[in-house]
Amino acid sequence: MSGHGKALSRFHQQISVPGKRLLQHVNLKFVKKSASGGGGRSVNQELPLVPFIDFLLCLVLFLLASFSASGELPIDKNVKLPNAMNSVDMIEAPMVAVSGTQILVDGIPAGSTRAIMDANRMQKIEELAEILKNKKELWTQIKPGTPFPGNVILQVDKRVPALVVKSVFQTAAFAGYPAVSFMVGKLGSGEGGE
Amino acid sequence: MAGIDTGGHGGGRATNHDIPLIPFIDFLLCLVMFLLVTAVWNHMARIEADANVPGPPKPTPPEEVPKEKELHVSMQGDRLFQLKWKEGTTVINTIDVPRKPVEVGDDITYPDLAEKIKKEWEANGSHKAPADKKIDRAILHTDNSTEFQHVIAVLDAIYAPERDFAIGGGQVEKIPAFQVTFSSQ
Repeated sequence: MSGHGKALSRFHQQISVPGKRLLQHVNLKFVKKSASGGGGRSVNQELPLVPFIDFLLCLVLFLLASFSASGELPIDKNVKLPNAMNSVDMIEAPMVAVSGTQILVDGIPAGSTRAIMDANRMQKIEELAEILKNKKELWTQIKPGTPFPGNVILQVDKRVPALVVKSVFQTAAFAGYPAVSFMVGKLGSGEGGE
Repeated sequence: MAGIDTGGHGGGRATNHDIPLIPFIDFLLCLVMFLLVTAVWNHMARIEADANVPGPPKPTPPEEVPKEKELHVSMQGDRLFQLKWKEGTTVINTIDVPRKPVEVGDDITYPDLAEKIKKEWEANGSHKAPADKKIDRAILHTDNSTEFQHVIAVLDAIYAPERDFAIGGGQVEKIPAFQVTFSSQ
């Protein structure tokens, strides 16, 4: 039983008074006295490691649980999104990012908005339409017999003029994606939002 | 360090082993650091805006669909929004709403517009009953120079009014009163 008790006490890391172990040969008495723990309270204490590990494990589990889903959304670093209160949760769909003059589909370049700005009128963006059509064809090949949902998410910088947004919107719609959504941040989530 | 003591002190190899707690703590701390660095705390959302595009041609002529009231929201010019209730091409009612943007941090909202749209839907909306599976339609018109953040602010205002929607089993949930189409004309 004594052996079992010893094991338990070691596991719980009880604080014990350290014995004389070091500096026995030192002649200076005042050094020996202070170093060997003589006089006053002992300054040697062990950290309570087991509760510390418990805390770390809880933290790891929490971080692992919150590490997924929306955190993996690829947001172009040049795109500053607007925020909205009455928004809905994200879905899985092709992501069209419009930042400055560049258009990207899931990170792949898909044309430029420069021609639209120069012409100052709405235009079909051929490269974007082609990529979206290819994605639609691939989807129908992967899931034959399932109706195509036609969802696309536009990730547009808040300063982009509506002319460019309309051109991208119409290009996506005519490429077979009529269910267009705009990606936004959640505004005032603690108040009226979600 | 913590150890496992089996109590036996007989011959043979010792069965008492210390669990190496310090490397274990180091590993956990590295894991915590990695997860904290890669965590994304802001959650993204979306605002729907369906496109009204012609579908592929059908061999049979399309059925006659009864025309319904639609709310057209126009943001043309810097001073006013125009709300128009239309049935087909017939304009039923026109309301002007002063454009009063309210800044919330870096963002813009139109609370007055949201309030007015809510009142308009309560007065003129066609689909209010929870059992009604149809949803009133709103169409947003913007001019070409409007910045995208203003488009989103107006879409947000149109989505503000909510209605009850029966989902079966006597249960009701809140859904937006309008389904919005973004006019790209």
